[in-house]
Amino acid sequence: MSKKIVQIPLGSQHISLLEPVKFKFSCENEKIIDVDSDVGFVHRGIERACTTKFKYDKIAYVVARVCGLCAITHSLTYTMSAESLLEGEVSMKAKYLRVLMVELDRIHSHMLCLSHVSENAGYEALFMQIMGDREPIMNLQEKISGNRVQFDYIDIGGVNRDISLSVEDDIKVSLKELRGKIEDLINEFENNYTLSLRFKGIGALSLKEAQEFNALGPIARAAGLVTDVRSESNDLPYSEIGFKIVTSSGGDIYARNMVRLHEILNSITMCENIVSGIPEGEIKTKFKGKPNGEALFRLEAPRGELMYYVKGSSKPMLDRLRIKTPTFASIPAFVEIFKGQEYANAPAILASFDPCMSCTAK
Amino acid sequence: MKINKIEVTLQNVVEKITKFYDPTTTHFLTLNGVAIDETKTEIQWIFADYMKLNDNTVFYVVVDQEDVVPSIVEVIPSAIMSQREVVDMFGIEVQNSAKGLYLDEDSLQKPLSGGCTL
Repeated sequence: MSKKIVQIPLGSQHISLLEPVKFKFSCENEKIIDVDSDVGFVHRGIERACTTKFKYDKIAYVVARVCGLCAITHSLTYTMSAESLLEGEVSMKAKYLRVLMVELDRIHSHMLCLSHVSENAGYEALFMQIMGDREPIMNLQEKISGNRVQFDYIDIGGVNRDISLSVEDDIKVSLKELRGKIEDLINEFENNYTLSLRFKGIGALSLKEAQEFNALGPIARAAGLVTDVRSESNDLPYSEIGFKIVTSSGGDIYARNMVRLHEILNSITMCENIVSGIPEGEIKTKFKGKPNGEALFRLEAPRGELMYYVKGSSKPMLDRLRIKTPTFASIPAFVEIFKGQEYANAPAILASFDPCMSCTAK
Repeated sequence: MKINKIEVTLQNVVEKITKFYDPTTTHFLTLNGVAIDETKTEIQWIFADYMKLNDNTVFYVVVDQEDVVPSIVEVIPSAIMSQREVVDMFGIEVQNSAKGLYLDEDSLQKPLSGGCTL
């Protein structure tokens, strides 16, 4: 066979992509030897808007619009960075409710990824099943916050809605049902040949590469890199509610699926522990002052580490807001994973990254 | 979260980061810019340690609009994305980092720089 190199684009619109991103693959026969990426199709200027159009106490609602899947994590990361520049104390009850919503976000986000990975393996029935099983989690978020997707739930000082006893009961019932379904899914992803044989050894990232390219979230943990911001901060009560870091080895699509599935189980455990022991107290407390100085805060979003940097000078408008999203930081790791792979596997590998272009082009 | 800020110069930043950075214990978060006034921008290289509580290190330098910021891509390959973002958003040249990641030629240029008024 000849060694002719051909360029094959994937995106900016492609059947396997949910959002616009373009990878241009240089292929030698079927093998990918180089990759160029273009991620800037939908840049919205949110960082600028947050320092010119909105006061600091409204920004939590603006940054929730950065991403439909991890809206709560964006609101919370901003809010906690702003709170660190103000005078006040968030109640333990509000912290528990914040974590409850963040972990529900993680559950439905991971399930969305797993459904698309199944679809890319040609297992459309499983895609539909997982999407159906995901619905009750979004319904729970609606019951807690008042909305299914764009939640205006987190605010400076706490949260905007209390949780009722009937919603607590609904959460317990739904999570119990979901636990059984996720355990069945783990069996399916481990033993069904369409999923396990199709994905073992495909799209692998080694531990050394994960460190070199600063991989984040489930991609890093699937490669054996022990990192999770939930273990790197004591500002939220993760140590009290049963958080356990999930890692794997192999770094391939199969390992990434397994990490996400076991993280869902851990998130279910944490949510159950939260609703069984929500402390008494206010859902929101008053904070004094205006942001003065600079603060940096990190949280573990479903796709990995999310960072907000905030700078203020005791004025209603911030001087600077910086958002570092996990997908944006992971693009170099994505590119490295593609190299050496068969082009036919590219859509499945991309789905296993769980990329979020809405976050990337904030 | 605690921020340990370390001031550097454009001449020694790559050397300082090379000495500091160990990929087995630390990861690079992002390159950040903060407009100080119409012509000056603070450039920040932000790092955090794996599995350490609340630990962030920020190397920073204040640059003029015409300064060229050295690239750290040879030390940290993943820095290329945020280097290109700073080029677009602040209009500051960063070595080996092309314009056009986010903004097209006909877009409003350097929207986060101190000199930009909308």
